Parts: sequence; structure tokens; C-alpha cells
Amino acid sequence: MSDSDAGSSVSAVNFEKLIQRLDDAIEALEDSRPFAKPAKLPRLIDIVRRVLLQPEGCAAVVARAERLENAGVFLGTDWADPAILLPYLTTSSLQSPHADTVIIEALSELRLLAVATGEYLHPSVSAEQAHHYLTQVLALNLSLLFGEGGEAEREQGKLALISRGVIGHVAREVGYEHVIDRLIEEIWRILQQRPIQVTSVRRMITQIALCRTDPAIDLGGAGQGAERLISSLYGPTQACREDPGVPVYEERLQSMDAVALQSEATGFARSMHDTGLVSPYHAAFVRYTLEKQDSLLTEALGLSSTGRDCLMCYRGLVHVLVTEGVFPETAQGLYGLALMLERGILYQPPVAPALWRQALLAICPEARERIQLAYGYSPQPKAWLIQGVLNMLGQPLGVGQGNNPTCQSARALSMWAYNDPDYLLQMVAWAARDNEIIMHFEGQPVSSAESRGGVASELTLDLDPVSLVVVPHLDRIYAEMGRLCIGRPGDPHQWVNPEFHGWSAGRGFAINVDVGTGKLQDLEGFLRHFYASYHPYYNGNQPLIHPQPAGIAVTDSAARFIGWHAITILRVNLDPEDVMRVYFFNPNNDSGQNWGDGVVVSTARKGERFGEASLPLEQFASRLYIFHFDPLERGEPARVDEEELQRVIDRVHNSWGRDRVPADTSLQAEPPQSGA
Amino acid sequence: MSEHKFNPEKGYIALLGWSLNAIEAADKFDRRYVVVAPDWAEAYCTEHNIPYVPWNFERLNDRSFEIAQTLKKMGVNVAIPLFEETVEWAGAINSVLLDSPRLFGQAMLLRDKALMKRRAQLGGIRVGIFEEAHDKEDVVRFLKRVNQTLLKLDGDPNDPIHLKAFDKAGCLGHRVIRTPDEVDTIPDEEFPVLMESHLDGWEFAVEAWIHKGKVAFLNISEYVTLGYSVFVPATPDLEKYRAQITAEIEKLIKTFDIEFGFIHPEYFVTSDSTMYFGEVAYRPPGFKVFELLERAYGFNAYQGLILTFDPKTTEEEVKAFFPKEVVDAKGYAGCFGVYPRRRVVSKLEMPEETENHEYFESHELTPPVEETVTKRTAFGTHWGLIYFFGEDPYVMRDLLKHQEELDFYV
Repeated sequence: MSDSDAGSSVSAVNFEKLIQRLDDAIEALEDSRPFAKPAKLPRLIDIVRRVLLQPEGCAAVVARAERLENAGVFLGTDWADPAILLPYLTTSSLQSPHADTVIIEALSELRLLAVATGEYLHPSVSAEQAHHYLTQVLALNLSLLFGEGGEAEREQGKLALISRGVIGHVAREVGYEHVIDRLIEEIWRILQQRPIQVTSVRRMITQIALCRTDPAIDLGGAGQGAERLISSLYGPTQACREDPGVPVYEERLQSMDAVALQSEATGFARSMHDTGLVSPYHAAFVRYTLEKQDSLLTEALGLSSTGRDCLMCYRGLVHVLVTEGVFPETAQGLYGLALMLERGILYQPPVAPALWRQALLAICPEARERIQLAYGYSPQPKAWLIQGVLNMLGQPLGVGQGNNPTCQSARALSMWAYNDPDYLLQMVAWAARDNEIIMHFEGQPVSSAESRGGVASELTLDLDPVSLVVVPHLDRIYAEMGRLCIGRPGDPHQWVNPEFHGWSAGRGFAINVDVGTGKLQDLEGFLRHFYASYHPYYNGNQPLIHPQPAGIAVTDSAARFIGWHAITILRVNLDPEDVMRVYFFNPNNDSGQNWGDGVVVSTARKGERFGEASLPLEQFASRLYIFHFDPLERGEPARVDEEELQRVIDRVHNSWGRDRVPADTSLQAEPPQSGA
Repeated sequence: MSEHKFNPEKGYIALLGWSLNAIEAADKFDRRYVVVAPDWAEAYCTEHNIPYVPWNFERLNDRSFEIAQTLKKMGVNVAIPLFEETVEWAGAINSVLLDSPRLFGQAMLLRDKALMKRRAQLGGIRVGIFEEAHDKEDVVRFLKRVNQTLLKLDGDPNDPIHLKAFDKAGCLGHRVIRTPDEVDTIPDEEFPVLMESHLDGWEFAVEAWIHKGKVAFLNISEYVTLGYSVFVPATPDLEKYRAQITAEIEKLIKTFDIEFGFIHPEYFVTSDSTMYFGEVAYRPPGFKVFELLERAYGFNAYQGLILTFDPKTTEEEVKAFFPKEVVDAKGYAGCFGVYPRRRVVSKLEMPEETENHEYFESHELTPPVEETVTKRTAFGTHWGLIYFFGEDPYVMRDLLKHQEELDFYV
């Protein structure tokens, strides 16, 4: 290539020049006649985007905030009048996939920052008002501050860096103390779902701990509620209260008597079950006592009689799992171990031997490399994988897809961990040891090694160790199965889901969207059928036996369609208030989502078990677009109350179905035709 | 009210065609102006207080005199064409406004590529071999004859010929034909066309502002690849021909009897330094060269246009307005027209190396509306321009060339 040097010598951005361009663009807009301003904006917006991608970008824009506004960037938009801006709208604009929306929102935030700091005397907003507004914006966009990428952010790509950068900059300038309380609430809400991947929660807690110890930050009365969170990581017991570091703590252990050790053990267990977080000191304690006094293990894990029984029966195995897998870095595995013992799954004949295999598994170089990239070189990849396996078996509903479009694979892992643990262990062994998984699609073998690529172009590393190793294989197989369905009429999930997830996924398939046109089809029949299959009042009071894959049309808080999403229906029950609810698993990292139009997914206090999400059945049905059923069990369409049915249909039409209503809507209101 | 302030001592000009950049330039300048544009522009002009006369520029007809009379009654002194399609209108209108019937004939000459070439030839300007074609047979005959002249034997690869529409701007309808088979791909409705022999050489364009029959400012635009990229001022390699080019332009001014305004001719310079005339247009060039000139020199090229068209402009004004060519340029400004390289595209993705290059200024690309890219038949239209600015003409040239290897739509 003769011109290669023109391309390669230019990797670094010349920030000064970029700023010069920004100033030129602002000047061009300033000098422009009002009628020609719109034509000058795209250039300015694009340059601002590039500036904001640079580390010093936010400060440079704040310094020019007044000029930017006076030049007319906000002219003719809602942002032109900052007094009417609503903080809660920033969430969706900052996560918009459209660059213009993100940039104009970012510009508005940075302008208000200039107002709040007194740099810019705004004609219609006071510094106090701006400050108050920004505080709310920060609290509402905490996820941008501390990780946890959602569905929308995945769609957004590089723009997410800008949103994060701007929010981070505003937080540093406005002060973390204003967001701390809101943040603490948020952490508790996430922890209530007991996720496996707690890296970002740990990061948030650490951030709070740092703010609290930083003399430059005046938290005032804020952050009092963080005590339990911080101590669960950095000092859950008497002997490590002041976070002395693991080596010092290990020395202290040597001089403790039985009573002191006993009290340490219960302290650790209490803290762990309180938050779902495990302190590195906890791991140090367990490793120490395993050698001297293993009777303390029951206490340290906080086991009930079921868990204790299980531990007694499989003591040798548990010891090996701890020695091989539990280190201060992988302490989180202890929580998984405790919950796994409580589930009693070790009593299923293949599980214990499969775990023995796991404890001694030789890991192939590819899997090794992925684990090391994500988690570092110490301890060994094997230990991380054991931690991952323990957590997944202990918290099957804590699986998350990370920042990847692989909800299908995450859902499958969760379903197996919940329903078919030895199958999961088999998958892990194949992926980690052989770097190949083979599944069968209608009798035809599908190998992950021979596939042409998965749904995700590349996987991020923000995954638990098991997902990190297994998901790339599952994703390729899933995509390959999809390719094998090319040419078949209708939605490929019909064939792929049962083959991919296992025999227990129903072979019957119902969908309310016409794949060709994207329009709704026979919504009423679909809903009656759903009630007949899942609602205990209409299916002969039959509780759901196996978790079933289902498809959801995810909507944002304004009830606008975002995308199709895979979930698992776990059970349908009356909640404590006698409302019929669907309890389901959402592989998204945070199930507590607002789907708009009053549909807010609950994760706690409505009878949910850890990791479950729930909605009243009516609301759930209004976002459902695919479900599976056993074709042999299929009954008559349920005689659902017309009013209730209409409420569900209205909710569909008011949200994701808004633009999908077929031309002749009158068909929807008629009773379903026989045989339909 | 419009912020526009004008000098009553100076001319009143009419802009023919809708160009926001031209309107803004006029609004910031000291000449009274009016926009003559189709009626869809009315709402916008009313909202923003832009002086406006509705007119639909179709083919010249017996109503043409009407617009000339309207403008004359308003006191307009001269009409300025902004697009190829309004050149003959300007000729017709100005022949009335300036009471100079030959201006209309001149405009017709400048609108027809075949007539234009003959006139150039008569004026002693070197042109390639050219001929009009009325059907496909004409094309085949011309292709054969050109290659016979070049002493090619049967079986030797042919030299290509170029086909251009008589009256379209720039690359629109431009095709390259190498074999008789390719002739079949030309749709019948494209005829008649102008055929030209291919000249192996360096193609470039000139933008010249003319006042009282003299060159007021002469810019040489260097094409890196025709239809893809251009930058101003040119590299020293091309600028070394400036004296020779100026002489050619003066010949052109004389031959076409141009007293005022702006011309945009294209030339070839062959390896033995001979200049061949390609074509000339009496309107602002495409590819946003005016914007590039403003970036490089800081003067507004549209205002230059107004100045050189206005009969009331003095020589001192002209002298004070235009900078000194090349030496007064603050740098080199270039742009690149993006064509999608893949057959199926789903999104716009600026290559990082382009976006992070210190010469990169801005782009006006928009996300794709359709996933399938229409196959380019003739030279086609680009999907948007990317702008660069920097200090070194050679870095600029290589950078523009390099863009051709990148995907902007994936």
C-alpha cells in the first residue's frame, strides 16, 4: 500500500487543533444569519462530539458554554429554555443511539454546570436552580457514573463514552455528596436481585468509601446508610473492622481462641447473607479454618440444617472446591457455595461427580486467556472458573449478559443452572477443556468450533467466569441454529428455542407478531391461549413445571419499543396482595426496569425470590410476544374476562404495538375464529 | 426584520436559484439583493424576511421575458446564476437588464458543451477530438475512428472515450466507454451526447472572477481523483503552470467575449505541458469549492460573485476584496466525496483514522436510508462530503487519495 503512511501516522488526536476547530465552528454559528443557522449546526455538533471524546473535552466545552448558547446551539429546541427542562428526560436522551440527541443533551448539562459554578450568569436560570437540576440528573444517571450498561447503552456504542464522560465530569464538579444517598438506595436495589457479577456494585461501594474518607469531600449528613455496604466488603467482622489488609488479618487469626473464631465466623455469615457480597477477609478466614478447625465452615457459610446436611455428606468435595477455588480475589464464590448447598442439588447423582471433574479440570489455552484478560493472573484461571460455577449453581437467577447482545445464551445458562445443573457442568467442561461445544439441531450436529460467528461480534469481558468461557460457544451455536432455519416461514425461535434450551422447553410456539410485516396478528387469540397455558385460574390450577423461554417486547419508560428480549417464565402465583403475578428471569443485568405506561418491573417485596423479576400477569401479558407450550396439553382458548383482555390489548396498543396495529383494526375486537 | 444593510450607491442583484450559503453571503454583504427561486421557497423566505420573487425555472419559454421585466421594474441591475440550469435564464434576463442582446447568445453557448467546444476551437484554443452522437452507432463509429487515429491495430486495447450530456453540470451523465459492447449499456434517453477522446493527463479546474474583461482572482483547483476529491490552492507542481493557465483563461475570456462575472473551466495538461480545454461553466462549481476557498483564503466567494457581476462595482473595490493568489492562503482546504464501497450497508461509521487526523474538519454524511447501494452507472453522485484543512499540500493530496480505500458505510 503506497498510501499507508497517510493513515498510520495519525492515530493521536491533536487536541489543540480540535479546540481551534471548535472555536471556528462556534464563530461560524455566531456570525451566521438566523435563517442559515440550522445549516451550520451539524458541523458544530460533530466537532463537539469529537471534543467530548477527549479527556479534557468536557472542561473545554464548559468554558465555552455561554458562547455556545448565545451562538444559538439550542435555538428552536426544548433545551433553549433550561427552566423547563425535566431531569428525568436526560436518561433517555443520554442513552439515545442518535449522536445529535446525546450531544445536545451533553451540551445542555455542561452549560448548566457552567451556570452552577457561577462561570456563566444565565438570564433565566440561577446557579442554585442549575445545581439542583444537575444533582437530580446525576442521581438519575448513576448507572452512567459507575458502570452497569443496559440494553440501550449496548445499542449506543461509542456515544456511551460521551454520556459517561459528561456525567462523570458533572459529578466531579458538582460533588459526589449530592448523589450518594440516591446511589446507596440504588445499590441496595441491585443487591436485592443477588447478581453473580458484582464488579460494578463493588466499584460503586468503593467510590462511596473513597468519598467518605476524602477530606476534600463534605458529605454532610449523606452516606450514613453506606455503612453496611462498605463494611461488607472492607471490614465485616470485629477483627478486620478497620480494613487492615489480608496479611495482617491472617496474623491476627493465628492468635485467636475458639470463641473469637466462632464470633468471626458468624460475623462473616451475617454480613454475607445480608448483602450478598463477600469480603476478601471472609475467604482468608475460611482457608485458615479449613486447615485447623473445619467445623467452623458451617458457621462461616451461615448454613441452615439443609445446607449443613449437604455439607456433611459432601465434605471432601467442598474442601477441594474451597482449596482450589476460594481465594481473597474469588471470595464471592463462598456465597455461591452456601446457596448451592442450601439448594440440595448435590443430592442429584451426577452433580457431585461433575463437580469433582470441575475441581480438577484442565483448562484449554483459549479459555485460560479469556479469564486472564478479564480477571488477571492471580489466582489461576481454574480458581476463577470454580468461583463462577459455584455462583451460578448457587444463584441461577443471578446470571447477567453483561454489555452483550447475548440474552439467549445467558438465559440458557440460567435455565440449566436452575433446572439441569449437571448439564450445565457438562457444558462448562466442554467449553473450558475442549474449546468446543456440540449441540444437535433436529438431529444434525452443530459445533461451536465450526460456526461462522455468533450474534455478538465480540464479547465484552464484563461477565462472570462461566459466561466468559461458555457464552462465546453458545452464542455461535445459537446463531448457527438460526442460520439453519433460513428459508422457513415465521419466527426461527419456534425451532431454535427448544433445540437450544433442552427438551423441557415446550415445542408448541405462539407469537403475536407477523414476522413478514412486523404487524400484530391475532392478539386476542394469542392472549387467550397464554392465559390457558399459564394462568392457574384457566389451566386447571397447574403450577408451571419447567421454566419456559419467552420473548418480550422491551419498551422504555415512555413505553416506546426498544427491542426484542429473551426471558424465562419461572412461575405464576398470587402475590402477598393476592394479585396474580408472573415471576420471571431477565438475563439483563438489572431487572428492575420501567417499561412505561405504568408497567414497572418489580424485583423485591412482591413475593420475589432473589433474582426474580415480577409483574402482574395482565401487565406482563402486554409486553409478551412469544411463548412456548406443550402442544399435547393445549386446551381451549381461555374465557378471559373481556374487560381484562381489553386492558391488556390497550396496553399493547399504547406501547410497543403502537405502530404495529394491522390496517383493519376491527378484526381485533371480534371473537377469535374457531380453529384460529 | 432582516439585519441586512445595503449601500444604495451600489447595484441591486438577483440570485437565480436556491442556495442558503449564497443567500447568507448576500445578506451579509452591502448590495441589495433578491432571491429568485421556485415557490416552495416562499414560506421560508417569508418566515425569515428574505427578499424573494417566485419563479419556476423550467425550459426557457415565452414567459421568460416576464421575469426579466419584473426584475427590471424592481430596479434590479444584474442576475447571477447559481446553478447550471439557471445560466441561460441569467443570460436572457441580463440581456434585458443590461440592454445587451449578445449576453443571451453567450449564455446559450456556455450551456451547450458541443457549441462551447467549437467556439473554443475557433478561438484557437486546443481541444481534444470531439463529436456529437445521436445514437449508439455514432458512438461505436467514433470509438473506432479515435483508435484508428492513434494507430491502434485490431486487438490492441482501445483508448477510452468520454460521453457527456450537453447541458448537465459536472460529472452528471459522464460515462467512460472502452469497447463497443459497453455502448449497449447506454440508455437511449441519454442521447444526444457529446463524445470526446480521452486525454492522458492531469485534469484540473479553474475558478476565475472576471471584472471589466480582466481576471480579478484566479484559483486553480487540483483534482486528486476526478469525481472524488479536490483541494485548493493546488500543489506547487500544478501552480508552476499558473502563468500559462492565466494566458489560457485570458484567451477564453476573449473568445467567449466575457466582460464580467465568474467562469469555471476545466483543463487537461498533458505530459508535454500542453493545455487542452475541456469545458467551461458560467456558475459556481460543485464540490463546494466556494466553501473551500473561504476556508483557505478567508474571503467569501459568493460575495466575490456579487462584486464581479454588479455593474456598479469599481476597480478599487475589486482590488481590495480579493486576496493575492496562493501567498495569502492560510492553508490548504480539500474535500472528499464519499461513495459506499459495499453493496449492502447498514450504518455510517467514520473511520477513526480519518476522524482523528489533524487535517479532518467536518463531514456532512448522513446515515443510510436504504440498505442496498444502487450500482453506479455513470459517475453518479456521492453520498456526502468530508472536509479537510491543513498546512501541507502533499499531505492533503495523499490524505484525500487514501480516503478512497476506506469504508464510511458498513
